[in-house]
Amino acid sequence: MTAAIAQRDRWFGFAMTLPGLLALLLVVLFPILFTLWTSTSDFTLLKPSNDAFLGLSHYTQAFATPEFRHALSVTLAFVVAVVVLEFLVGFAVALALDKVEHGKAVYYVILLFPLLMNPIVVGLIWKMFLHPTLGIVNYVLSLVGIPPVDWLGVPDNAFWTVVAVDIWHQVSFMIVLLLAGLAALPKEPYEAARLEGAGTIRCFFWITLPLMRPVIVVTLLIRLIFAVKTYDIIYIMTRGGPGQATELVSYYIYRRAFVGLDVSQASAMAVILLLVVLALTAWLHRYMRSLAQ
Amino acid sequence: MTEIRLANVTKTYAGGQTAVDAVDLTIHDGEFFVLLGPSGCGKSTTLRMIAGLEPISSGDLFIGERRMNEVDPKDRDLAFVFQNYALFPHLTVKGNLTFGMKLRGVPGPEQERRLAEVTAMLGLAPYLDRKPGQLSGGQRQRVALGRALLRDPVAFLLDEPLSNLDAKLRAQMRTELVKLHRRVARTIIHVTHDQIEAMTMADRICIMQDGKVAQVGAPMEVYRNPANTFVATFTGSPPMNLVPGRLEHGAVQFAGASLPVDVRASGGDVTVGFRPEDLSLVAAPARLPINAEVVAVETLGADAILVASLIGGQEVGMRVPADTALSPGQPIAVHLDPDRLRLFDPGSGKTLPRR
Repeated sequence: MTAAIAQRDRWFGFAMTLPGLLALLLVVLFPILFTLWTSTSDFTLLKPSNDAFLGLSHYTQAFATPEFRHALSVTLAFVVAVVVLEFLVGFAVALALDKVEHGKAVYYVILLFPLLMNPIVVGLIWKMFLHPTLGIVNYVLSLVGIPPVDWLGVPDNAFWTVVAVDIWHQVSFMIVLLLAGLAALPKEPYEAARLEGAGTIRCFFWITLPLMRPVIVVTLLIRLIFAVKTYDIIYIMTRGGPGQATELVSYYIYRRAFVGLDVSQASAMAVILLLVVLALTAWLHRYMRSLAQ
Repeated sequence: MTEIRLANVTKTYAGGQTAVDAVDLTIHDGEFFVLLGPSGCGKSTTLRMIAGLEPISSGDLFIGERRMNEVDPKDRDLAFVFQNYALFPHLTVKGNLTFGMKLRGVPGPEQERRLAEVTAMLGLAPYLDRKPGQLSGGQRQRVALGRALLRDPVAFLLDEPLSNLDAKLRAQMRTELVKLHRRVARTIIHVTHDQIEAMTMADRICIMQDGKVAQVGAPMEVYRNPANTFVATFTGSPPMNLVPGRLEHGAVQFAGASLPVDVRASGGDVTVGFRPEDLSLVAAPARLPINAEVVAVETLGADAILVASLIGGQEVGMRVPADTALSPGQPIAVHLDPDRLRLFDPGSGKTLPRR
């Protein structure tokens, strides 16, 4: 009896979500399947009918391409730098804000501003700020006698500038999540530890860090997944340059597909990127499920 | 000889409210002392000030001869058991128990010896490798107690440690706490809102009301001679009956009865108090009967509570044998021993001194 009702409810729910599911299939699943197909054939925009099946040769070809490998290593460096720095800064700020008693809301609003901005806007603003001759940053530096810096024109500078802008944009995400984690920690273990004679540093390493572990892992994983896909900031600020100093893999794939018009090769690379993101997401999902138990 | 003494201790919060108001208390060495009161009466705050978890706004705290107001909590040599146990959720039972010893640098073999001693005492040996999340409420409670015992402190401060347990376990833990107290022979200050806990465990009870000490005394002293109507109604279950009366010529008149009393006050309105067990049913022509009418009989098993309506409409509770067969509306005659009467000032609620 109840099983029949449950069955009926399931069908009803399915029917109600069907239009949405169809739309999703159209805009998400279709492109993915199309990409899988183009990545295994010699599809070309010049002659779409030319679609002989090639198997995995584009995939082996991808790893044999020095530019792709370079893009992967730049991405790895970027992701590590961004996630680690954002975590350290974010945790420090969250710890400080956790102690704030008055006006927490004001800090929250200020912190959330960058997060509310579109990455394109962030990129444009910072590109203006960092303009070698007209930017406000170099102007301010000149006031204290520091010669102008070419923030985006020199390979090393450009990499760290992009990292810094990404931190400016995304660090609030870490702060907000970590702060929520800190606020949810029970107070009594700290009092118990204090009675036992544990100081601030001990409390941090013996209580806060272990208790925060789930929040930290989830925050890092989510941020990691998004960092791997970073595209907009690069497109606006550097177009992967100078040279290929800031060419992240998603930007490289875009360039390969729509500037080089090598769609099938780019598709294979996109699938590789998709698999990486998928693996990270699966890891996150599994971790969160283990927490729930 | 380590006495804990509070002299004029006051806690005022930043907002201006006073949680604890000029409390004077002396807790003797080795005593089981219970701070009793309703929530918000300042009993937990008092305990937390003794522990050093809350700063003292004014007044002095002495442990032994030493003034402790500014002493760091860890140097007060006290152990605290929290209401929700405050175990470290990421550590095993063993990790929880040895946390303090590790922090204080107790050598490994000594740690093991004392751990074995305490786990044996509390029956925790099978759970040493479990985390708090895998323990029942009673087991967590034991771990919290064990952590306190391993501190080997001058006094144990217990902040409503039994209130998260179910009724049966609570009764069991009461007995165990008393046993434990006898065994370790240390001072225990136990905060509770449960008057049964206070009556059953305490050497002395301090009843707090609105941040002030209402009365301090041995359980039966507090029960028999409450200092005011608040104490009278907060202790006992059901509480002391309070009915309005009038004092004239050495006798108190209430509900159509007149009973001789020996209080110093000569006359005027009073509040008459008597415990449910001080009333007994009598055959109508007995000496000094009070006439009443049955409202309800609540059978408790061992005995029953009879709710009776006195002349004038006042309802009182009385303890009667369980097999009392009376139905609502039936008239009854009730006897009350005048020695058991307590008179209170109707304005201040304070007890009227006896002659």
